[in-house]
Amino acid sequence: MLGVWLLTAAIVCPQIKAQGNKPEPVPMKLKVGDVAPDFKLQYFDGSGEKDVTLSQYRGKSNVVLAFYIFAFTGG
Amino acid sequence: MKAFQQNLKKLEAADTQVLGVSMDSPFANKAFADQIGVTFPLLSDWGGDVTRQYGIYVDKYKAARRVNFLIGKDGKILEEQVDRDAIDPKKIVDACERKELSR
Repeated sequence: MLGVWLLTAAIVCPQIKAQGNKPEPVPMKLKVGDVAPDFKLQYFDGSGEKDVTLSQYRGKSNVVLAFYIFAFTGG
Repeated sequence: MKAFQQNLKKLEAADTQVLGVSMDSPFANKAFADQIGVTFPLLSDWGGDVTRQYGIYVDKYKAARRVNFLIGKDGKILEEQVDRDAIDPKKIVDACERKELSR
């Protein structure tokens, strides 16, 4: 009887643990193949603020948009 | 951001412009760029409009999720890296180099 209980526990417990470790990932609104929305944002290049739009790269180069949480964080 | 800086030559060789985006002010971003030696623009989404438009604003943190998008010349998204996967941009660098080779 104890053997059966232990076996059951051994099967069930890792599943519970695995579920606990995996928070439900929030699905992405934009998916591969979607058109990336255009934007106009600024950055400071040392002398003044410069505008950047996504559309200025259309037909010219690929763009990596790297969203990060805050300045002075890793990654 | 440092990981992209390390791969910047490869990305530029594959016709790829890197843009960092966060909800910090332009001045905070400039200071951040100087501190970590980033030479590509770090754009300021002050207020978070673009972050929301891209669907990656997190209410809990009042900030963006960590996400990398690779956008092709036609404006379409070619690759995405989300959260923890976005720390190492290898997938995107590889994708750029593959595209370059396949031309």
